Amino acid sequence: MFRDFGFIKPHNIVHPEIPKHQHLSPSRFASVGVLGYNCPREKSVMIYVKDVSVEYANGVRALKDTSVTISKGEFVFVVGSTGSGKSTLLKLLYRDMLPTAGTVIVDGENVTAMKPSAVPFLRRKLGVVYQDFKLLPQKNVWENLAFALRVIGTKPKEVHKRIGEVLELVGLTHRCDSFPNQLSGGEQQRAAIARALINNPTVLIADEPTGNLDPTTSWDIVQLLEQINIRGTTVLCATHDSQIVDGMKKRVIQLEAGEVIRDENKGAYQNSES
Amino acid sequence: MKIRVRIKTVNLRNIEFLIEEAFTGIVRNGLMAFASISTIALSLAVLGAFVLAMMGANHFTTEQIDRFEIAVFTVPGAAKAKADALADSIRKIEGIKDVSILDRDEEYAKFKRERPDFESAGLLGNPLPYALRVRIVKADQLTMLSTKIRALADVDHVNVGQETYKRVVALANAIRAISFAGVIILLITTAFIISNAIRLTLYARRREIRIMQLVGATNHTIRTPLVIEGIVFGSAGALVAWILLRLGGGYVVHSAQRITPMFGSFSSGLSGAGLAFWLLLAGAVIGAIGSLVSIRRFLKD
Ligand SMILES: Nc1ncnc2c1ncn2[C@@H]1O[C@H](COP(=O)(O)OP(=O)(O)OP(=O)(O)O)[C@@H](O)[C@H]1O
Ligand SMILES: [Mg+2]
Repeated sequence: MFRDFGFIKPHNIVHPEIPKHQHLSPSRFASVGVLGYNCPREKSVMIYVKDVSVEYANGVRALKDTSVTISKGEFVFVVGSTGSGKSTLLKLLYRDMLPTAGTVIVDGENVTAMKPSAVPFLRRKLGVVYQDFKLLPQKNVWENLAFALRVIGTKPKEVHKRIGEVLELVGLTHRCDSFPNQLSGGEQQRAAIARALINNPTVLIADEPTGNLDPTTSWDIVQLLEQINIRGTTVLCATHDSQIVDGMKKRVIQLEAGEVIRDENKGAYQNSES
Repeated sequence: MKIRVRIKTVNLRNIEFLIEEAFTGIVRNGLMAFASISTIALSLAVLGAFVLAMMGANHFTTEQIDRFEIAVFTVPGAAKAKADALADSIRKIEGIKDVSILDRDEEYAKFKRERPDFESAGLLGNPLPYALRVRIVKADQLTMLSTKIRALADVDHVNVGQETYKRVVALANAIRAISFAGVIILLITTAFIISNAIRLTLYARRREIRIMQLVGATNHTIRTPLVIEGIVFGSAGALVAWILLRLGGGYVVHSAQRITPMFGSFSSGLSGAGLAFWLLLAGAVIGAIGSLVSIRRFLKD
C-alpha cells in the first residue's frame, strides 16, 4: 500500500543549511577523542550518547550514566516499561533538553555543546513523531505540513508537491482539509508521521508512533518506517508494542529505571533469556 | 557565519510567508484579537483624551497670554510727528511684533460717549495724548520690553497689567506641569496594559510557538509574524480610539460651548489627521515593542 517513495532522496552528509563549523569533520571527532571520550572515529556513527545522566527539577533521575551508539542507517527499537526514560532519551537527541552530564552527538554535531542559534538547524535534519503528536490545533492537516516546510524556507511549488506525496504515503489525502480535533487518534498519528517525514530527515525519531492504532494499521505504519529506513534514514522508535518489535526482528535497546539493561541485534520485546 | 544565516532567512519568499502567517494568526484567534484590540483602543482613547485636554488647556492659556499688550502714552501735547517717531523707535527694539497708533479723535469720541459728565465740565479741545498699542512676540519678555519702552523719549506712561499677567502665567505653568506628569503616568499605564494584553494573546499561542521551535523555525521566523500582529493590533486599536475621540471630543466641545461661550476658543489645535497620525504611530510602536518584549520570554527556553 505504500507506493511511490520517489521523494526520499539519498542523504546529503553536508547539509546546506548548517553552518560549516558544525559539519562532521575528522578533526572535530579526533579532538573529542583527545578529551578522553571513547568516541568512534568512523563516519558511520549517526547517534552517539555517552555517559548521559538526566535529573529533572523535581529530583527524578530519568537517565543514569546511559551510553548508546547507533550507526547510520540502523533501525532501532527502544523499549522499556513506562517511566523508564525512553522519551527522555529521545528528547536529548533533538535537544528539547540538555543532560545534567554526558555528551550527545547526532550526525557529527555535538548537541550538548551547541549554541542555541544552531538548534533549529539540527532539528531540520531530524523528523520527530511526538508521543502527543504536537499538531497545530488552528491549522488543518495540509497547513500543518505546509507550515513545517515553509518555516524552513521551502518554495511554495515544492511545498505542494511534497505534501501531496507524503499524504499519499501515510494514506491521509482524503482528510487533508480536517483540523486535528476533527481527526481520530490514528489519523492524527498519521498526520504527525507525515510531518516528521516531510522534510526528508536524516534521522527519524518516533515516540510511540503506533500508540493509538489498531494492529493492522500499526503494522502498516511500521512497514512504512522500514521502507523509509531502507532508503537510508536512521530510524529510532520507542514503543510498547510487543507484536511489532517481535515481528520486525530489529535491534532492541531496553531501558529500565534510566539504565540500558539490554541491547540486542534482531531482538524481541522481552528478554530472550527470561 | 551568523550573518550568512541571517541573510538566508530574510528572503522575499519567506517574508511573504511570515506576513501570511501573521494574518491567518489574527483571523484564527478572532476572540483574542478582539480582546486585545478593544483593550488597546480603550487605553489609547483615555490617553488621547487626556493629551487632547492638556493640549487644549495649554492652547487656551497661551492664547490668553498672547493677548497681553503694552499701552504706551506720549507726553501730553506731543505732536503726531513725535508719536510716529516713537512708534518707529519702538519697532526697532527686538521682540516687538507690531506697533499701532490709535486714532486720537476716535478715542476722544469714544471717551465722550462713555463719560458724558466730562463734556459738561467744559473741557476745551481734545486733551488726550497719543496712545500706542504694542504687541510683542514672547509674552515672558513683557516686563523687560516695557522697561525699555519706558526709557524712550516722549513717553509719559506705560501700562502693562503686570499683576494679571503674572497670575495667568503662573496658572499656565501649573497646568503645564500637572498635565505633563499626568501624561507620563498615563503613558506608562497604557504601555503596561497593552503589553499585558499582548502577552495574553501570546500565552494563548505558546503551544504554537513551541511547535514552531520543534520543527526547526529560527527565532527570527517565530518573532516576525507575532511582531507584525502586534503592529496590526496596535494600529487597529488606534483607529478605534481615533473614532471614539472624534465623536466624544466633538460632543464635549459642543456642550461646553453651549454652557460657556468663552470655550469657543477651546481647541487642542490638533487637526483630525494629525490626531490620527499620532495615535497610529503610538499604537504601532507600543504594539511592536509590546510583542517583542513578550516574545523574548517565550523564546527563552
Ligand atoms: N518534565 C518532567 N519533569 C519531571 N519529571 C519528569 C519529566 N518528564 C519525565 N519525568 C520523569 O522522568 C521519568 C522518565 O520519563 P520518560 O517520559 O522518559 O518515560 P518513558 O519511558 O517515555 O515512559 P512512557 O513509556 O510512559 O512514555 C519518569 O519517572 C517521569 O515521571
Ligand atoms: Mg514516553
